[in-house]
Amino acid sequence: MAGGYRQQPGASSGGTRKDGKRVAGKQKFPPPGSGGSHPNMGPRDLDSIPESVGGKEPQPAGSHIHDRYRTGTEVGKPRALVDSYAKVTGQAWYGDDVRLQNEIIGKILRSPYHYAKIKSIDTSKVEALPGVLAVATGADAPNTFGVLPVTKDEHAMAVEKVRHVGDLVACVAAVDEATAMEALNLFEIEWEVLDPVFDPRKGLEDQDEPIHWRGKYHVGTTNVQKRVFQEFGDRSLVVDPTASSHGKWRMEGVHHGFTEPHAVVAHWDPNGRLQLYTPQQVPHYAHRALSTVLEVPMHQINVIRTFVGGGFGGKSDPFPHEMCAAILSRKAGRPVRITFSREEVYWINRGRHPSYIEVKMTADDEARISGFDIDALIDGGGFASFGHVTSYYNGVLATAPYELGSFHYTGARVWTNKPASGAMRGHGAVNTRCAVEVGLDEMAEQMQVDPIDLRLANLLPPHSRTISGFRITSNGMRQALERVREGSDWDKKFRQLPLGKGIGIGCGFFISGSGLPIHWDPNRFPHATVHIQIDMDGGVTVHTGAADIGQGSTTAVAQVVSEVLALPIEMIHVRSHESDTSPVDLGSYSSRVTFMNANAAIRAALDIREKLLNAAWEMLGYHPDVLVLNDRRIYYKHDPAVGVSYLEALHKAQEDKGSLISSGAYRSPPMGGVHKGAAAGLAPAYSFSAYIAEVDVDVETGLVSCTNVWAAHDCGKALNPLAVEGQIIGSCHMGLGQVLSEKMVYGRTGHLQNPNLLEYKIPSVHEMPHVTPIIIESSDPEGPFGAKEAGEGPLLPILPAVVNAVYDAIGVRIRTLPLSMDVVWKAISSKTRSLGGIEATELPSPRLEHSLLQQTLAERGAQHRERDRRRQRSEDTSAYVNGVLFGFDPDRPLEDQVEGWKSAVEPVPEQLAELGLAGKAWLKKEQRQMGGDK
Amino acid sequence: MLMPPFHLHHPSTIEEACELAAGFLETKESFDWVAGGTDLLPNYKWHINVKQHVISLARVQGIDTISMHEIGAMARLGSIASSRDVHPLIAQAAGKVASSLIRNNATLGGNICLDTRCFWFNQSEDWRRSIDWCHKEDCGTGSDCRVIPNQNTLCVATYQGDVAPSLMVLEGLLHIIGPKGERQIPVDEFFQLDGITRNVLEEGEFILKVTFPEGVENRVGSYKKLRVRESWDFPEAGVAASWIEGDLSSLRIASTALESIPRLHQQEIDKLDGGFSTDKILQLSYAMMKSIKPVNNTALPPRYRKSMVKVLAKRCLQEILGDGE
Ligand SMILES: Cc1cc2nc3c(=O)[nH]c(=O)nc-3n(C[C@H](O)[C@H](O)[C@H](O)COP(=O)(O)OP(=O)(O)OC[C@H]3O[C@@H](n4cnc5c(N)ncnc54)[C@H](O)[C@@H]3O)c2cc1C
Ligand code: SF4
Repeated sequence: MAGGYRQQPGASSGGTRKDGKRVAGKQKFPPPGSGGSHPNMGPRDLDSIPESVGGKEPQPAGSHIHDRYRTGTEVGKPRALVDSYAKVTGQAWYGDDVRLQNEIIGKILRSPYHYAKIKSIDTSKVEALPGVLAVATGADAPNTFGVLPVTKDEHAMAVEKVRHVGDLVACVAAVDEATAMEALNLFEIEWEVLDPVFDPRKGLEDQDEPIHWRGKYHVGTTNVQKRVFQEFGDRSLVVDPTASSHGKWRMEGVHHGFTEPHAVVAHWDPNGRLQLYTPQQVPHYAHRALSTVLEVPMHQINVIRTFVGGGFGGKSDPFPHEMCAAILSRKAGRPVRITFSREEVYWINRGRHPSYIEVKMTADDEARISGFDIDALIDGGGFASFGHVTSYYNGVLATAPYELGSFHYTGARVWTNKPASGAMRGHGAVNTRCAVEVGLDEMAEQMQVDPIDLRLANLLPPHSRTISGFRITSNGMRQALERVREGSDWDKKFRQLPLGKGIGIGCGFFISGSGLPIHWDPNRFPHATVHIQIDMDGGVTVHTGAADIGQGSTTAVAQVVSEVLALPIEMIHVRSHESDTSPVDLGSYSSRVTFMNANAAIRAALDIREKLLNAAWEMLGYHPDVLVLNDRRIYYKHDPAVGVSYLEALHKAQEDKGSLISSGAYRSPPMGGVHKGAAAGLAPAYSFSAYIAEVDVDVETGLVSCTNVWAAHDCGKALNPLAVEGQIIGSCHMGLGQVLSEKMVYGRTGHLQNPNLLEYKIPSVHEMPHVTPIIIESSDPEGPFGAKEAGEGPLLPILPAVVNAVYDAIGVRIRTLPLSMDVVWKAISSKTRSLGGIEATELPSPRLEHSLLQQTLAERGAQHRERDRRRQRSEDTSAYVNGVLFGFDPDRPLEDQVEGWKSAVEPVPEQLAELGLAGKAWLKKEQRQMGGDK
Repeated sequence: MLMPPFHLHHPSTIEEACELAAGFLETKESFDWVAGGTDLLPNYKWHINVKQHVISLARVQGIDTISMHEIGAMARLGSIASSRDVHPLIAQAAGKVASSLIRNNATLGGNICLDTRCFWFNQSEDWRRSIDWCHKEDCGTGSDCRVIPNQNTLCVATYQGDVAPSLMVLEGLLHIIGPKGERQIPVDEFFQLDGITRNVLEEGEFILKVTFPEGVENRVGSYKKLRVRESWDFPEAGVAASWIEGDLSSLRIASTALESIPRLHQQEIDKLDGGFSTDKILQLSYAMMKSIKPVNNTALPPRYRKSMVKVLAKRCLQEILGDGE
């Protein structure tokens, strides 16, 4: 410790001199202590206080508005998640750990048919079975629900018809599991089997019996649930391209593969209120849906989020089994527990959509990207779930990080008779991102340039606007690319490795919170609210509705409160499990939690901070501007011995009031365009990432092993570097699964053939490469202490990085995911055949000889590097919109500058003929346009 | 998923085990043997072919020996894999079974008698109901085979045991005991073509041990396994080969995980013009591939698995013989 401070920690030699006098600055805090485990104030950690406010933490990306609230306590420090102790000691209570007095067991009867009408259900034999205490069918709960208010197409149990094998038909509760299972065999049901649809391409055609009916908005009599058309920019730029790539992709559906199967316990308490325990990512939507389905006001329901054993998007819908448990419990008058088997987990699904994706792209003579043309047909399975949003995300999340001459997107989501697809980590962005990044690789090869330089010379800068009108604030894409290039020794490896060894690059771009709260107007209600309460003991209770699903939201909230109040983290107690006590929060999806919830928590903490400082002012006579908060103490900046303990200030602040209470909220600023669908993909900030992967390919078997990954992710500011690294490594694992081995296999009969963890091939630790996580901190101006998301974006780049690396290794471009050994082997075989039947071991490795364009790109990249640095640090605050690279003036509407600059959300008739697969959905009219309606 | 109820029996001697079995045969009560349970119990949990009684061999004394010339049926694969006494090929093959956790429980006998597998069959009860069952467990419906329909006699479920081909190429001899007494049979004659019958064991019989001939220690062998994940996946194809160094006529090669039984490929060797020599590695590998007809009931497509026989055989042979130059 430097000599200037007199109030020192450690007080090693005791606080009394030999003559018995007390040493100033070495005194213990007065009883009852100021909380925390250490008696004395710790040193101020200047290394964790930003330069801009007198500390030593470097700020290459410039200062941040939250800098002055930094106390060096928690932010930026690697911290084991606060709930990890409960987890590693086995004391965390997951869904199936809840045991209430007198519980009974619920089981669900599931459809054995893909698609069928239920003509009648006779439950009399079930009811007669001794031990059965309640039986319910669709008739008990006819109200529809769904996670999105625009597409409520689910029932607690089938009403009228079932839509996939495993769909819920009825449920029963009995004294034990064996009885409940026996009861399932006693339902007598009359079915009328209907013709199922499995192929999403068939879903575009008119059917006799569409899987759902949307009334006047129904598209013909097809199974199209949602169709999207978006066109921006100048399409004339794409004629006469210097390079072009046209790729047709087939991507299989994948599942989240979380460890904990769904489980729920429902209990109607003696006052007639429903207490529902469920591992939910989004308890609030479940709360709303329960209220609708059960016809009980929301205030009569308490949703208790248990610990969540992994979610990744798969626990964010309100679920029918949650309704079933509540209905059974209401009937039986006893608590009902339902726990899924793994098969049931796969049947409720909500995983990533099986997709057909087509990407055409072009580059002009200066290697600028003149156009992206994307078509995505996605297979929604039996229900809408989040599909409305997914349909947009598959296109709009490809509008950055590159500056584009034009952008064209057609998307369609169709219902099929399969388990419903939904939101999964990287929601909607993952598949198209892979296709786009592989296309760029291909164009770079045609132009004989380095694909990293191609990217570096085409990036949107910080503080700019995408072609579709998204507002980009902080942007660490360039640093991410530079860091992985350097870390991986790219320049010595790319196109220089022997056959079977390859290296590849991929980038990512993702939302940090969805700009639109699904259920309300963001201009009227905040996205997130956090309450803080402090009583005389000094412990800080934080109430938040943020759902910790293992990602560490509870820790993030505790950390920021701890940072602002300069209190050790063990004094911060986050309460987030019950809707009775938590302020409404939208839950854990769209990577919104740290950004929105931590922002709200900072605001609530600032309110408390002000109260404490005012109290200290009154006690010390120094204005808060010259007071410092550090480790349970508030003191005068120029004489640390002059101060009060946190508890003293707290008690002062509590005079006449009792406990201190504050509330903080986060709202997003107004942003985005006004076109239809403009809100989709809109976010207060975006994350950026670049990964380089190295692979080994066994050319004879087609087995691809990923050996090394350099993974750079721009999360704005790592509040907790340990957690960010964990997310990066975990994302690599999850993405590797999708790119190498995972798929939901639907066999020739349409049945899901692998609904278990042995046959659904999630990579194990043996398949994990060595991952070098690289954190990029671009300091987002609106993020909490500069932070942005790190939970989903890091998944995106691993897929294209691996696909591009496989090309580098064997010179074969494969556009079927996963790149399982049989798929790769097949691709290699057709290549060797096309080369006159050579052996696989004789395949030529791709090589690169730079063209003149390489120089152009390197120069432009260098200029942009300086441009970006200045913009990032706000040294240049001029407007920048997508189009500047093509010579347009950012201060005038582009429509006025370029004839043919478009912004369209519906195709004009002339375009109909040239639309891709999903675009064909636009060939049909809606019922209302045909005069039909029901 | 709840395991259906059954009676578990724990004989402690071979005689006791035989008596128990004889008793059930007489009273016509159904029963299964269980060793490590890592194959039987997952199937039970799926409610597949559950029997009234299960006789555990776990406490039967003296059938877990591990040595160069004799391995007991109850020897755990984990112990075999780490043993320096057994033939290195057996240790290698045992070490490639499943995961280390499973190997701690899994036994050699259970591995040899592993039930055949098929993705229409190894599924939960609800799932199998949705395909209206299949021939191997038809629940009294007389259902057809879902892989090769319209025959209703044969089950073509795949035998995915890892160790059998290695036992075959080391000339292993199975010692079997039952109420009718003891008998011996070479491993390569033990398996019987049909996914339901599986092998020549008669009701009430179980395997005591595998023995190997004198001189087995002079054999050099290799086992190549194709699987999706190193950590615990069943083989999608497997080839084992061995020879006595310097004696090409001693070459034995066998395959597994491709059909409903593992197979010794003596025929393919015999058909080679002038017998096997090191320049015929590719020829033999190709002939093996030709002789095998996998079906679509495991994780990887049959055409691919078939093609891989060639690659695995070639690699196996090159490893033990040098690359044939
Ligand atoms: C996740 C997982 C992965 C696996 N991966 C592999 C793999 O990669 N390779 C592989 O080969 N296997 C694999 N297995 C299957 C199994 O674990 C092993 O084959 C194991 O060796 C079986 O031995 P056990 O003692 O557990 O058999 P058990 O389950 O006890 O018995 C299996 C069958 O053999 C019969 N049986 C057992 N002992 C005898 C005996 N002495 N005489 C007559 N009949 C007998 C039983 O009645 C039963 O029908 C896997 C299993 C699981 C669950
Ligand atoms: S091969 Fe045919 S009979 Fe055998 S388990 Fe598979 S589907 Fe059933």
